[in-house]
Amino acid sequence: MRPGRHTIGAAGGPSITRRQWLTGLGMGATAGLAGCSADDDSGTEATDDGDGTGSEPDGTPSVSGTYDTVIPSSFSTLNPLYNTGSRAGTAIGRTLDPGYTFNTDGEYFPLLYDLSTDDGGSVWVFDIREGLSFTDPYGQVDASTFVYQIRELHQTDWAATAASADWTGITVEETGEFQFQAELPEPRLLWPESYDPLLYPVPTDIVDPYVADEDVEGLRQEEALLDLSFTGNLGGYTLEEWERGAGTTYSRNDEYYLRDIGEGPELFSNAPYFEGASIDVVEERASRLAALETGEADSAGIPPERFSEFEQNPRVSTYRIPQPFNRILSVNMRDNGWNAGPGNLFRHTAFRQGLAAAIGKEELIAGIFRGLAQPHYTWQPSWSEWHPGDDAVTQLGTGDRYGGEVARGLVGDAIADSEFGYRFDGNALVTPEGETITLDLYHLAGGETSQLIAEFIGEELSDSLGIEVTIEAIDAVRFQQDYWTAAPQGGTDTVDGEAVSWDRPTPNNPGPRSVTSAESWDMSIVYGLNTYPLNPLTNAAFFDGADARYNPVGYYPEFDATGVFERARSADSEAALQEPFTELFQNLAEEQPYVMLAFGDELSGYTPDLVGPTEDFFNGWDFPAWYFDA
Amino acid sequence: MGVAGYVALRVGWAAVVSVIIVTVTFGLLAAAPNPSVQQAATQAALEGGDPQEAVERERQLRGLDEPLHVRYLDFLTGVYTLEWGWSEYRSQPVTTALADAVLYTAQYSIPWTILTVLFGPLIGVYSAANMYTWRDHAATGFAFFGYAIPNFFFGIILLLIFGVWLEWIPIVFRTEVPAFSLANARQLAIPVFVLVTGSIGAIMRVSRNESAAFRNATFMKTAKAKGVSPLRAYAYHVMRPTLVPLSTTLVGQLLAIFLGSSLLVEVVFGIPGLGRLTFNALVAQDTNLVLGSTLLFTFLAVVGNLLEDLAFTVLDPRISYDDREL
Repeated sequence: MRPGRHTIGAAGGPSITRRQWLTGLGMGATAGLAGCSADDDSGTEATDDGDGTGSEPDGTPSVSGTYDTVIPSSFSTLNPLYNTGSRAGTAIGRTLDPGYTFNTDGEYFPLLYDLSTDDGGSVWVFDIREGLSFTDPYGQVDASTFVYQIRELHQTDWAATAASADWTGITVEETGEFQFQAELPEPRLLWPESYDPLLYPVPTDIVDPYVADEDVEGLRQEEALLDLSFTGNLGGYTLEEWERGAGTTYSRNDEYYLRDIGEGPELFSNAPYFEGASIDVVEERASRLAALETGEADSAGIPPERFSEFEQNPRVSTYRIPQPFNRILSVNMRDNGWNAGPGNLFRHTAFRQGLAAAIGKEELIAGIFRGLAQPHYTWQPSWSEWHPGDDAVTQLGTGDRYGGEVARGLVGDAIADSEFGYRFDGNALVTPEGETITLDLYHLAGGETSQLIAEFIGEELSDSLGIEVTIEAIDAVRFQQDYWTAAPQGGTDTVDGEAVSWDRPTPNNPGPRSVTSAESWDMSIVYGLNTYPLNPLTNAAFFDGADARYNPVGYYPEFDATGVFERARSADSEAALQEPFTELFQNLAEEQPYVMLAFGDELSGYTPDLVGPTEDFFNGWDFPAWYFDA
Repeated sequence: MGVAGYVALRVGWAAVVSVIIVTVTFGLLAAAPNPSVQQAATQAALEGGDPQEAVERERQLRGLDEPLHVRYLDFLTGVYTLEWGWSEYRSQPVTTALADAVLYTAQYSIPWTILTVLFGPLIGVYSAANMYTWRDHAATGFAFFGYAIPNFFFGIILLLIFGVWLEWIPIVFRTEVPAFSLANARQLAIPVFVLVTGSIGAIMRVSRNESAAFRNATFMKTAKAKGVSPLRAYAYHVMRPTLVPLSTTLVGQLLAIFLGSSLLVEVVFGIPGLGRLTFNALVAQDTNLVLGSTLLFTFLAVVGNLLEDLAFTVLDPRISYDDREL
């Protein structure tokens, strides 16, 4: 099969195993929301039971050992139609390849099918690889397998599959035994990068009875889907057992289709290279790290405070893997924010810039992330293809744009613009009554890094602006319910001189700034968000106007955000996307809708004799080619 | 009332207790907000869907759109017909989930209980027999150490010493190991040791003090006068009356520490037992599984107390029911 998307080269996509389930299924932000963007040390881990011994006559490494991943929590389902969890995605991915992935250059790589478009992203053609088969008696994988799945499951109301939102309004049509096409309501040049067209094939014969009865419970609980007994030659391993609460074990699949595809790394020709694999649930972090240290696990996530210790440990190879989840200071621009005095200074762009300038990014990264993070100036990581370049964005909080003087200058602009009489008493900002400004700052309870960041922000704001910060720890669920979301009410407001109506309010943007959550709050670092570097258009959810779907802080863009996103949507080539994205990220760096702080690296440790891992966001895309060196 | 009547009464009371507990648990769960509904709304919003619709769908999926009394009655019927439903958190029937977890919990809790019941009183009586000697102090020190050190912490320390430094035991618990095998004994040795040291202290101290009262009792003097060996004297004449007050607290005490201790030890050693199952079911708000495990613990507590009362009468013939002669 001739791949049709080799030239896309979009940077910033997740590896197809665990991160694909985050970004692909819209869970990226949710994972960030759960506060695990930088503290998460739950990477993959493994056990080598074998001895790597030389190579095969064809030059490929010999098959040896078992690769056991250790994870901190168990999966709730392995049903590919309903899974939304990243860890279960890894567990499913061992036995069942998804449609496609992206290689370390960020290029599209077809697995089960290739995707191509020749009309600027309106109609996409799926070319399914021949020779793909389910376990007997379910037969081969062909176009009808996918078309049936999309039409009868994803596009129906009763089934409520994980991918249902991805297929709304799309017309699919079978155009050959191994080909079908999807017509989108509007062109999407970066459709594959959104992971929306990513499908996991399931046999029609298994789901057909449930389709006939519209039996969603039956479909969710179908044993053949839960134990992945249908996967045939579609994955590198076969699931032997899923012991709920303990994990999964796999045996090598000699029939793996990837061996015959004739593209990709040569190592695919005899893949996979482990005799078996398993994923063990070990909830205690100390135990997971102990397993990594003894070699009982081949890889594990490492918390920042122990990274340098493992760097010195010859029994472990350490990796810093960049990722797109950010650390931000959210400031509440709604009516229940800024409880220090009259008005709400957070609503002034210059004030938010002042906050960004007061918090030293390099100091934060050196002191709290121990150097294991990247500064965050605009809503893209610097390694993203769509990042406008360091020179093009204002780098608040670094170099000569960091410090009390710069911060006070910017805040001075803001208070001059404010109708209330805020002023500086010496170097300290005070209320019109001359009282100290006191703001609360919420952070995730139990998160050590989170608390340290909060304390650092408190000190910086105190030093530069004389603002007193009250630090409060809070549970993520409580913050989500009582602070971050509110009952959708809708309404209208004037934004940048124009009337805006909230016609489709959501819990995360319940209406104009007058619509507020149950509890008042000033600042928060509880949540980080995904910056979607692979397909930045997804960021429309955050910034496409004041009425964007996700806007808990009540940010009103002061640039033509809607127009910028409109231009990006109507771009007819990837080159044409660069201009609106550059404009978008320059403006976001300027306006600081969330005060941007840092991108923490994902920190992983692997056993030194494992060959395959890379310090790249796409690490793991070629997992079938990984092997143990002798 | 005879023993049979007494047991029947107790079983009847157990049924009432179970209804009360199930009702209270259901009430608490129904009153608690469901994060999965909120999460569904957030996700729908991010994906461009309608959050309200997503909330409705999620509520419908989880049966939360039914009136409360209908949900309660459905639930109650299911409980007493052993149809405990489907665990969303584990994607398997609740009864299967509980059976799986009990299997792993039993593998360490049976040796734990046996060793505690065996060694607690033995060390206590030994301590009493050697009161105020170095042996007594050593035994007391051991008891207090085990009682004082948190199981969670002790477990991690022992894992570090025996797992990481000495590499005598595996770090990751292997479920594929047969229950009766040396490999299983090896991976369970430290968890059992931690639990035994944690629970033996109180029992040892109570039995030490209880048996101290019988050291100089007249029946001991008689036994000594008749030339009975000290071992036999302590085993027959001191141990037995010592166990009477102990037996009233033993089961209750063990059950009380069962859930808490086993959860922490299961987390540290990665054992997929009842403690973790119950805790995770609570966190995930898996109603069926929470209720299932609540019922199981209720059953264990009720049966345990029943056995305790029966043991009481066997150990001390002076205790009888009103009409025991019947």
